[in-house]
Amino acid sequence: MSQSSQPAPVLDAGHVAFMTSGVSINVAARDAHNIPTLTRALGCRVSADRCTVTIFVAVPDAARLLDNLRINGAIAVVFSQPSTHHTIQLKGADARVVAREPDDPALFENFIVALAADLAHYGWMDSYVRTMLSHDDENIVGVAFTPYAAFNQTPGPAAGAPLASTGTP
Amino acid sequence: MTLTIDSIRDCFDGAIPGLIATCSADGVPNVSYVSEVHYMDSEHLALTFQFFSKTRENVLANPFVTVMLLQPHTAAKFRIALRYLRTETEGPLFERMKAKLAGIASHSGMSGVFVLRGADVYRVLSLERVPGRTLPPPPSAINMLSALRACTQGLANAADLDQLIDQTLTSLERHCDVHHSMLLMFDEPGKRLYTVASRGYEVSGVGSEIAMGDGIVGVCARERTPIRLTHTTSDYVYGRAIRESAAQAGFADRLETEIPFPGLAAPGSQLAVPLTLGSRLLGVLFAESPEEMRFGYDDEDLLAALAAQLSMAIHILQSSPDVHEERAAPLPRRAPAGGPAIPIRYYPADHSIFIGENYLIKGVAGAIFWKLVRDYEREGRTEFSNRELRLDPSIRLPDIADNLEARLILLTRRLAERSSDLGIEKTGRGRFRLRVAGAVKPVEIAGNVR
Repeated sequence: MSQSSQPAPVLDAGHVAFMTSGVSINVAARDAHNIPTLTRALGCRVSADRCTVTIFVAVPDAARLLDNLRINGAIAVVFSQPSTHHTIQLKGADARVVAREPDDPALFENFIVALAADLAHYGWMDSYVRTMLSHDDENIVGVAFTPYAAFNQTPGPAAGAPLASTGTP
Repeated sequence: MTLTIDSIRDCFDGAIPGLIATCSADGVPNVSYVSEVHYMDSEHLALTFQFFSKTRENVLANPFVTVMLLQPHTAAKFRIALRYLRTETEGPLFERMKAKLAGIASHSGMSGVFVLRGADVYRVLSLERVPGRTLPPPPSAINMLSALRACTQGLANAADLDQLIDQTLTSLERHCDVHHSMLLMFDEPGKRLYTVASRGYEVSGVGSEIAMGDGIVGVCARERTPIRLTHTTSDYVYGRAIRESAAQAGFADRLETEIPFPGLAAPGSQLAVPLTLGSRLLGVLFAESPEEMRFGYDDEDLLAALAAQLSMAIHILQSSPDVHEERAAPLPRRAPAGGPAIPIRYYPADHSIFIGENYLIKGVAGAIFWKLVRDYEREGRTEFSNRELRLDPSIRLPDIADNLEARLILLTRRLAERSSDLGIEKTGRGRFRLRVAGAVKPVEIAGNVR
């Protein structure tokens, strides 16, 4: 793929900071009959050029999601900060399973710590959040995709609008 | 054991928002939060339709969706495949979800943002538990079935409506850990509910009234459906709002006849269940707690089952004929006048009664009291029967739903609270005595102005 065919990133640095700050992440895919499925993710990484987003899911929980992605690559990912309700959704059409990197387990742990801290605003116990996100590191796989669209999904009048710039290049 | 929707009802209590995945007709998936997933029955759930969103658009184009929910306490996750059936924009389901959503919105700082446009009804296609660790569920404080059994046994022992009402609220306190409760009866012609008994409040509030559709009790009555609030919300609060609306309507001069509703100042949870016989409304059983998330689906079932028993018991008591006394009651004597006569004012416009400067009651109960006092004043009578009240043209009891017993209970309790000189004592089945400490001076005042 030549450099010129690469689409301009739909995300700016502010969006990336939000997505990787330990917010709640959930992923949807669909099968050949357009029946959707969904799974909770355990963290996110964004490439330096902001064109590739990688989220992490655990098998066997995500088995059906991964089957769907392998067949058609259609993916939707929602990122939401419980304490502020700030929510964005990304769409991709080229999702594929990717190899893990050596420092990924640290990323998972940082993700859980940050999300637990945010959910503590609602009085959620750390033990509850850790149980909700419990996983075996060995069973986590990465799913990478190129977001082709991004939407604001924070509840309110602007929900559903294309994601506005955060003003951070 | 097979996993069923009924076995995970705590997931639908709105404590934790769910997620919904949908897919457009051209195959683009979408994932979104859903504020409220409501349990209807073992095969149907309802989701809130709040915004004209991509989710909404997708559901209308492709009815197959997947919902993921987290269980409070255990952190177990469930995926439920659903098929969209229809949207309801009014009626019992809509009102139940609207009330719950108002509580959720208030709790999550989303009041004014979360507005229910419709209740989307779905059929459950499949349910699966997502693999993963869970926490042990907390032990339940109450065995609901044994509590219900104890409550219904209590009802069976009640000899009259008065005992039945008290027994119900006592049972809730003793067996169900419900320490703030009320029973309201329906005044069908007046389209209002009036409190006949309460537990757990500084003042009983007996005689206080709620209009149909007003707050949690009024909506429960209008829709004939249980309404449950898991969090405090100003949308359903009583008190000042009623007073203000009365004042705005130009009835400020009549406010002295408003008996304040006794509810908690800061309720965390509220539950109202209707008392019904077929489509006929008898009243509302109401419970509340300062604690949030106090009442779940099981508590609602318990109160609904108890309300059904109570309704049937009320019906049986109302259907049993009064004792046809042979008018053998001895001719009563006028009580000796001690001090000055007790001034009693009666306003026929709304049948309101004042003893001295104290407001007592109005409506049918007021008309009953006026008859008793006039008979006492004219003939010195103190012994009365329910039957003669039913037949008395001056009282004009609504004959469809003859709630004479309930009115007498209301009157008796108000007298006990408001006057030491006057009272009503039951003397037998369908009979009672007017207790008067001295002479009375009844004055009828025509016109509306007090």
